[in-house]
Amino acid sequence: MSNFLFGRYLPGNSWIHQMSPQSKLMLSFYFVIIIFFANNIWTYGTLSVLILFVVLMSGVSIGYFLKGIRPLIWLIIFTVLLQILFSSGGHVYWHFGPFSVSDTSLINGGYIFVRFLLIIMISTVLTLTTTSLAIADGVQTVLKPLKKVHFPVDTLALMLSIALRFVPTLMDEMETILNAQRSRGVDFGSGSLRHRIQAAVPLLVPLFTGAINHAENLSTAMEARGFTDSEHRSKYRVYRWQKKDTISWIIFLFVGILILFIRNN
Amino acid sequence: MDQEISFNQVTHTYQADTPFAQNALDKVSLKIAPNSFTAIIGHTGSGKSTLVQHINALLKSTFGEIEVYGRQITPSTTNKNLKQLRKHVGMVFQFPEKQLFEESVIKDIMFGPKNYGASDADAEKSAVKAMKLVGLDASLRDQSPFDLSGGQMRRVAIAGVLAMNPEILILDEPTAGLDPHGHKEIMDLAQGLHDHRNMTIILVTHQMDDVVDYASDVIVMDRGQVVKHGTPSQIFADPKWVYKMHLDLPSSGEFATRLIRAGVPLEKTPLTIENLADEIVHLIQGGNHTDE
Repeated sequence: MSNFLFGRYLPGNSWIHQMSPQSKLMLSFYFVIIIFFANNIWTYGTLSVLILFVVLMSGVSIGYFLKGIRPLIWLIIFTVLLQILFSSGGHVYWHFGPFSVSDTSLINGGYIFVRFLLIIMISTVLTLTTTSLAIADGVQTVLKPLKKVHFPVDTLALMLSIALRFVPTLMDEMETILNAQRSRGVDFGSGSLRHRIQAAVPLLVPLFTGAINHAENLSTAMEARGFTDSEHRSKYRVYRWQKKDTISWIIFLFVGILILFIRNN
Repeated sequence: MDQEISFNQVTHTYQADTPFAQNALDKVSLKIAPNSFTAIIGHTGSGKSTLVQHINALLKSTFGEIEVYGRQITPSTTNKNLKQLRKHVGMVFQFPEKQLFEESVIKDIMFGPKNYGASDADAEKSAVKAMKLVGLDASLRDQSPFDLSGGQMRRVAIAGVLAMNPEILILDEPTAGLDPHGHKEIMDLAQGLHDHRNMTIILVTHQMDDVVDYASDVIVMDRGQVVKHGTPSQIFADPKWVYKMHLDLPSSGEFATRLIRAGVPLEKTPLTIENLADEIVHLIQGGNHTDE
């Protein structure tokens, strides 16, 4: 678990670290969309080169990066296998009952593999280079247009930033409770399924009561500091659009157009 | 049975082999004698809590081995069969009231013994005994632990550990956030367990007054290493060194150094209030003698 890189922040000062979170969020979203336009070896190649470039720019060592996303590989392989075994068409090499392997299913499986990898890589770069609070701010900026349809963007952003801020706190608490119950003789993660579910009770009850206490204390403290509603607030952290954002967008837009040209229609 | 706890070149690195790697213990070697009352002190983040969690194998060393209660724990020790060790080593975490979960006080205290295979009747017996030991009123037994006050909750949590009859008791800042009265009660309880039940007590604390009042041994930690191990008077003999370790003198020692600085000729730095009073009486009587 400690090697798991997805969703963590790695402090740094690279080009990508310095970009504004809203543009990073939108760029990742845009990149995921262009991935779905790719449909041949050239388009996937172009996107792979781009993502490699992005990883290099983020200042994270490639070896460590690959090691960090390795835990997700099983999920990908599982999906790819389903794709290979169940899709039909093309020249069939082997079949048994509902399963069959053909040249098209192999190619499609390969594409899905690359597609997954690209999506995971771009989102890992996003979370590695952006603090969770910056992501919450970014989401707020990106969702701002939804205010027109009375969607509570500010409340959502507040909830998101509180939730993100409490993730490590609750993780720490869980660790402590886990250890406390272990030293009282609870065996976590062994025995029958029934036994395991029962073993979770001494962990979950204190975790929930702790969370409720946190919520109570936090809301009192917020009120005491003059918080009335999540609208009508000024902002302390302001992330401005920078030159770096513009340049990154130009590169990504260029690659997007390139993809539209070299994909086979 | 040999109850000595010994650490041999124990190193612990959190999140080894990642950019987040952090060395919490660095080649720690030490021995804690059976039936001792050992205080572990040190600046925040010096590795105290990491150290004590090795004693009942909640954490395992990255290098080096630990011997506790005749049992060797090495980096390759598996999680199986650690239960028996944990029965002998009771651990009270910081803010232990966070671990309560059962619907009644008695059930929560019975939880530990039952995990170690005690029958309901036996578990209840030791739970009632533990409640008495920590000074909880018998009328509270069927109440929900969540309805109790903070101090009472902490006592329920401590009772839950004591009900397992451990031989070694680790207390990680047991009095944090308690009022002076509750503080003294918990510390006196620890002393009683040490004096009358021959428990080995290991206390992690920032309260230097508790160290001199209760502990027989003191381990000073700094940046993941044991920098001094001795009796309280050995540890606090050099105030300059104590300040360098980002620690404080016990309040009577603090007061005495100020007296000395103001020109009162105390012979040695007293550690407890009793010692300080004796010193002052001695000084006054000595002064009277020269007057006569």
